[in-house]
Amino acid sequence: MKDVAVIGAGMTLFRRRLKETGKELSFLAAKMALEEAGIQKSDLDMVVMGSAPDAFDGIHMKGENLIDGAAAAGKPYVRVFNGGGTGVFAPIAGWWHVASGVADIVMVVCEEKMGSCYPHPQTAFRHIWDPIIDRPLNPNLIWLFAMEMNRYMTVYNIKKEDIARVAVKNKRNAVGHPCAQLADPNITIDDVLNSEVMAWPVQRLDVSPPSDGASALIYCSKDKVHQFTDDPIWVDGVGWGIDSTMWTNRDLCFPRYVATAAKMAYKMAGITNPPKDIDFAEPYDPFDYKELHHMEGLLLCKKGEAPILTREGVTQRDGDLPICPSGGLLGVGNPIAATMGQKVCEVYWQLAGKAGKRQIPGDPRVGVGQAWGDIMQMATVIVLRR
Amino acid sequence: MLEKQTDPTSPMHWRGDMQADYMYTNGVAGDRFFRHLMEKDTFLATKCKKCGKVLFPARLYCEDCFQEISESDWLEVPATGTVRVFTVATINAHGKKMEEPKIIALIDIDKTDGALLGIIKTKDLKRDFCGVKVKAVFKPKEKREGTLKDILYFEEKI
Repeated sequence: MKDVAVIGAGMTLFRRRLKETGKELSFLAAKMALEEAGIQKSDLDMVVMGSAPDAFDGIHMKGENLIDGAAAAGKPYVRVFNGGGTGVFAPIAGWWHVASGVADIVMVVCEEKMGSCYPHPQTAFRHIWDPIIDRPLNPNLIWLFAMEMNRYMTVYNIKKEDIARVAVKNKRNAVGHPCAQLADPNITIDDVLNSEVMAWPVQRLDVSPPSDGASALIYCSKDKVHQFTDDPIWVDGVGWGIDSTMWTNRDLCFPRYVATAAKMAYKMAGITNPPKDIDFAEPYDPFDYKELHHMEGLLLCKKGEAPILTREGVTQRDGDLPICPSGGLLGVGNPIAATMGQKVCEVYWQLAGKAGKRQIPGDPRVGVGQAWGDIMQMATVIVLRR
Repeated sequence: MLEKQTDPTSPMHWRGDMQADYMYTNGVAGDRFFRHLMEKDTFLATKCKKCGKVLFPARLYCEDCFQEISESDWLEVPATGTVRVFTVATINAHGKKMEEPKIIALIDIDKTDGALLGIIKTKDLKRDFCGVKVKAVFKPKEKREGTLKDILYFEEKI
């Protein structure tokens, strides 16, 4: 396998219902990444697109619709998706294009235009269920997350306020992010606890907002990376794993599929003691409790310990183990696949010292990004190292 | 165990639908293209600074060069063109014979490097339209809504 480096990244503003089409959003993110890498479309060998369900944009097989905005017209191109896992799975797919030796320079573009789905993109989630076992009850994703959150709180005796701290931290972290949709420098735990109850214990401010946006990332093989930088950021490990589709039969407390993916990535990266070997992480945080869940799945702490670390300030940007320094999905926004911007581009920017106001102090060397998708069962993990 | 069913309701089943509604944005370039169409009987195109191609319908970027379009790259072109190729549809989407055949054409728009799918209205259904010059016929201005439907059809340019 060839070593793979990241040489550029880009990300658009995240907002609900932007004027731009999906391909225009893709173009804007791709152009930023090309400019950061200092290359042009003609330098790209191949392009990988990540975009989650067709039902958001409302274009069947939207991968082909997005080609021209992804600098892919006339090139080898593939779209990959596994729901919310796409934001880290697309860069994994991009990685194997280069690691396999098939290509030297590859761009990954991730796009989501949830605002097309009217009146609310939740409508699209009505059709993801098993038609015989689940759909007759007309389930809503929030129901499921509410039960998962309740189970987590019940098993480990976690207080709601300790979960709300995650939303507060991430929305405050997002203040320095130029793309952020829901940054709030003054948000408090009480604001979260007093927000509208959607399906107990899930309240409005526990949830990340739907959004439109795009992000892009450019890889280069070790053979050519000297042309672009003397201090490359390497992809050190990738992993992915999926749990049973019978979600009712899962534990709903510990995300074992995240651990499967993390172990695969850590083995590749030579990480034996995750809390010690990893300097910071961007676990997927569409809900505040999911950041905690995923920290445990990523083996960054013991089961049930993530809320304690959060309460003690360990996961703050200047803490011992910064978590979601980008502001995450809760603060920056959640255009599903495009969250590659927080989960992978951010890890690159932090390691390269390009994170601006969001920069983690202390010269971080190893960062982990993770996403979570399909019906709460898919985990995708990437490890970057300087 | 596998047995062909001719009546879809005969196996036990749950009847569902996949309801989803959409509000598709015209986009940055599309917005300007269609606002123009509401006021004028011409089209807007954009010219790539790098390769010189005139992109039609107007776009925000050139997909070949990945060059962004700037303010000075916009130009007005006539709503006329040449039929590159066409077909005559006689069966509708439900498999039924149409009352009147429909001529569907790919029209290379004049002074651009782009084309548009259009319906041709004619009394001469037997005619070979390849290479024929056509012009767009628009809705009356007060009825235009800024969509592709503002072009009623194309007809031969005499």
